[in-house]
Amino acid sequence: MANLKEVRIRITSVGSTQQITKAMKLVSATKLRRAQNAITQMRPYAQKLNGLLANLADSIDVDSLKVYFDKREVKNVLIVPITSDRGLCGSFNANVIKLAGRVIAEKYQGKNISILPIGKKGSEFFGKTKHTVINDSRDAFLTLNAETGFSIGERILAEFKAGKYDAVEIVYNQFKNAATQILTNDQFLPIDKSTFGGAGDAKNDYIFEPSKGEILEDLIPRILKTHVYRCLLDSLASEHGARMISMDKATDNAGELIKALKLEYNRARQAAITTEISEIVGGAAALSSN
Amino acid sequence: MQLDIITADKTLFSGEADAVTLPGSKGQFQVLNNHAALISSLEKGTVKIKTKEGEKKFEISGGVAEVLKNKVVVLA
Repeated sequence: MANLKEVRIRITSVGSTQQITKAMKLVSATKLRRAQNAITQMRPYAQKLNGLLANLADSIDVDSLKVYFDKREVKNVLIVPITSDRGLCGSFNANVIKLAGRVIAEKYQGKNISILPIGKKGSEFFGKTKHTVINDSRDAFLTLNAETGFSIGERILAEFKAGKYDAVEIVYNQFKNAATQILTNDQFLPIDKSTFGGAGDAKNDYIFEPSKGEILEDLIPRILKTHVYRCLLDSLASEHGARMISMDKATDNAGELIKALKLEYNRARQAAITTEISEIVGGAAALSSN
Repeated sequence: MQLDIITADKTLFSGEADAVTLPGSKGQFQVLNNHAALISSLEKGTVKIKTKEGEKKFEISGGVAEVLKNKVVVLA
């Protein structure tokens, strides 16, 4: 029979765990809302950029931009897995790591792989693998704003342009809603030209200052950097969504556990009382028979 | 004219303006009411706007500006 005191201690301990998970869920909900706001904030910016591009798309064949579109023979690959800094968010990080592993094994078998992890969890994992790990962007989430996002993008673009890598792939959780993340691997570079072919607003007679080509030279890297930033924001919102859901489940589970333990506790108490009564009755009977 | 100054983080300005001076990559230029349609790349510098309430300044680090039908959008 379970010891009364033992069960009581377990009930208290599960209860305080439940309190923690409940608090974490609330915190995640707030952070999720903030992360979602950041995504909504940057949406008009991205839309406008793409709208501008549609007006310029006919002169996209500028020489200086070819480097972003041309498919080279792939020897060196950069993988950018975006994970979170903290755990307790279900399979969020494990999924990214698994998918990154699959991309490396299937798409880039035998190539020279470098990894630029963003987020501590991914950095910890890939640090144990045999790939080259570049660790200086892993803390991007500590100070996430457009500037950090853009500077990571800038760095990837510069290294790609310099020929250090022949392909760049981003693996991250795309944010759909609080309960759903879409695990995605994006070929970031070289760019597939068809993704830029979107129909824009009707052609207007613009004056281009200084020239279409030069504006594009500014615009395309900007769009790419915005894309990196967007991936970061998506991943952050997904992380909080995932943590919210898993903490919600943990709270529910703790509740069930407490219910079962209470039942066990009451049963043990009842049994103890019954034994006590029968002992007293037995004692009294022994006395009176004398 | 309607003026919007947008960055990836937030909207710096959105409202009516009488004139806006932009740091174009080929030199500073000013946009007044009913300017012709224009797309220009911008350098790092200051965006000066003149509104009914007075003048305002914003620092930007490069970007693109679009002028269309009395509507100016600055992406910084």
